[in-house]
Amino acid sequence: MDRASRNLRILFVAVPGAFMAALMLAPAFEGLVLSFDRCGPSLGNYDVLFADPMFWRALANNLIIPAGSLALELAAGLLLALYLTARPKPSAVVEIAAVLPFAIPEIVLLTLARYLFMPRGYVNAALVEAGFHPLGWLLPNHALALLTVIIVDAWHVTPVVMLILMGGLQSIAPEIYEAAALDGAGTFATFRHITLPLLFPSIVAAVVLRGVDALRIFSTTLVLTGAEGVPVLSTYAYQQWTDAQQQRVAMAASVILALAITIIGLAAAGAMRRFGTAEAPR
Amino acid sequence: MSRREVSMPHGAGAAFIRRVAALAIVLGAALPIYLLLKQAVTPEIESFAWPPLWLPRRVTAAHLESVFTVVEFRAAIIRSIAVALVCGVSATVMGAMMGYAMARSRWGRRAGMTAVTATRLLPMTAVALPLALAFILIGLYDRPSAIGLALVHSALALPMTALVLFPAFLAIPLELEEAAFLDGASPLRIFMTIDLPLARAPLAAAFILSFILSWDEFGFALLLQVTNRTLPPLLYYYTVFGDVGAASALALLMMIPAICVLVALRTVLRGALMAGSLR
Repeated sequence: MDRASRNLRILFVAVPGAFMAALMLAPAFEGLVLSFDRCGPSLGNYDVLFADPMFWRALANNLIIPAGSLALELAAGLLLALYLTARPKPSAVVEIAAVLPFAIPEIVLLTLARYLFMPRGYVNAALVEAGFHPLGWLLPNHALALLTVIIVDAWHVTPVVMLILMGGLQSIAPEIYEAAALDGAGTFATFRHITLPLLFPSIVAAVVLRGVDALRIFSTTLVLTGAEGVPVLSTYAYQQWTDAQQQRVAMAASVILALAITIIGLAAAGAMRRFGTAEAPR
Repeated sequence: MSRREVSMPHGAGAAFIRRVAALAIVLGAALPIYLLLKQAVTPEIESFAWPPLWLPRRVTAAHLESVFTVVEFRAAIIRSIAVALVCGVSATVMGAMMGYAMARSRWGRRAGMTAVTATRLLPMTAVALPLALAFILIGLYDRPSAIGLALVHSALALPMTALVLFPAFLAIPLELEEAAFLDGASPLRIFMTIDLPLARAPLAAAFILSFILSWDEFGFALLLQVTNRTLPPLLYYYTVFGDVGAASALALLMMIPAICVLVALRTVLRGALMAGSLR
């Protein structure tokens, strides 16, 4: 319209924009600068970082855990979405229960997970009662602890994947299923040749959205195993900040993580543009 | 009857599987919460028993009472509510501004989407650590009022509220604004008297969402409120340092807003969770 409404829109972008820039972008930039500073411009912080075996373990875990968690939540989310959209529709109680792990605060879920998986926790109690040996679910530096973290992380976010896929499933026209039924397609053939291809854009969207978030994993490992039990980059930075008092090294580690997220995120966004809206591959 | 059923197996066997699945989902959600409740109402000594007890032997209200009587807990509850309220209000106000600009101009949309994406890519520590240094300098670090944390939560929630409100403003027909414009109303007045009232429901949803985002937020709270804690970091310390009864009671308390929303506003929440996945 006219100048006045244009000015209002500029103001409406500028105020929230400046607020976010001051509280998120400016600190991030400051952290980037400080990570290259050690009493003067220096790569020293990164030298310290790259010489620390713990950093490399954190980096590896930071890639393994999101990959495992993503695969698990995709499988579980798909099963739940198929189940909840199938007829006869399950009751509202079931739907609420399925969403619950994401609806409650993450820290509450992690507290619960700790009580379940700790050495004298309920999972081990159930194992013993069933005649098995108790397991070290949270044993530091152990593959099983990595698996526990993956399971708990997937437990928390599976409802999100489920909701995204439910949206996709509900948008598939019933006529397509009718046509398939008339052609004599069985349950599995229908799923394989109709549901899965038409659901593909939703699956890609879920992978991209959750994948980028999964890389930021912090509280799951911190609460379950402590900063050093199963280190990831965020808990490594936290541990450098608090226990080691190495502020600049902590910032360097955060920069590496931001870099990894940006690269993987841009690649994922590219993949989403390519596959997300396109027809499904044959 | 819809032919859509063919996508799922049916018959007696499938009905049985469906019932088992329903039971598994409900038990999977209810059992852990039951255990939390059990720990919250049993004496500490029972919670450390091995093998753990599945049913309480003695019941005590001490832990639940302590949540409201112990000064540290009460302060954290009040602080968490205050921070979440500030976050809810300011993120909704600024989200409405940004969402409106996004709905009414193409460059506004581009600017908004860029801001949303850029902040999404930043890991928590990359922002929180330098911010802690800055807050120490300007006196916002670890304040009893937690005003610094409330500002951070507002910035975290802002992209989410903007994304929730942007389609709501987009749905309001421009003709309504034009009519008011011809009557000589200023753009700001048009926004306040026409667009905002029409977007009441999405505005409420945005407020609830940002309130809950702040109520749940753990990472920034852990790093910025190291002694004057909000509930999530407080729960973390009680969990890790093994005060089972108090931690369980706190955890139950922290679930209350989520349960309210889940039961009362299921449809709002569904959209909310989708948007939450975007934060």
